Amino acid sequence: MAAKWIETLTGSLEQKKQYKQYKARIEALPEPYRGSAKAFERYFMYYGGVTDGDTLVTMVSDFADLWERASVDGTPVRSIVGDDPVGFAEDFARAYDGKQWIDKERKRLTDAIDQATDQQA
Amino acid sequence: MGKQMTEMLKGTLEGIVLATLATQPAYGYEITARLRDEGFADIAEGTVYALLIRIEQRGLVDVEKVPSEKGPPRKVYSLNAVGAEYLDEFWKSWNFLTERIERLHNHTGNTNNEGE
Repeated sequence: MAAKWIETLTGSLEQKKQYKQYKARIEALPEPYRGSAKAFERYFMYYGGVTDGDTLVTMVSDFADLWERASVDGTPVRSIVGDDPVGFAEDFARAYDGKQWIDKERKRLTDAIDQATDQQA
Repeated sequence: MGKQMTEMLKGTLEGIVLATLATQPAYGYEITARLRDEGFADIAEGTVYALLIRIEQRGLVDVEKVPSEKGPPRKVYSLNAVGAEYLDEFWKSWNFLTERIERLHNHTGNTNNEGE
């Protein structure tokens, strides 16, 4: 899964560069923001079904924006992520689910039921 | 915040955020602060941020990057025409739901009273 996540980035040099920039931005954060951001990053690897590089790059750079802002403002980690970090992570990732692999299966299911409905009509 | 409250808020937070943006454009933290002022005390900034990203991707808001004294530029969100239409729909649904639920509450409330 982790390998696949990285592989999606090998598509274009520009995306690779942007991903490296993102990694550098996270590394540059002071603690405890860096540690928190990395913990979410790890979770995204397992949870996130984002398979195209463009979407992934947009997502991680938005994510870096959030943590940079929080560290500059000195916002406590808890008031960023709330009581339910998993819920936050999944909500965040879902904002980018426009091009997930599951879309193909969603379409297939929708079509199958449309067909079944037509047969009954 | 109770589990039930969290679940109910999840379904309405989008409308709530759009409603605050209808009065004035704002960046993430301002929106969270406004919501807290309105009594939504336990809302996490990240939740609002994720929601803003979602409504941006769906084209309900316009985004402008405004430089800040410290740190990266802030993204200021404003409601656009599509968002305004969506917000209108939200209020209609909200009014429908509150009316029905209130009626149900009264009915079931009366039934309970009869039993006493």
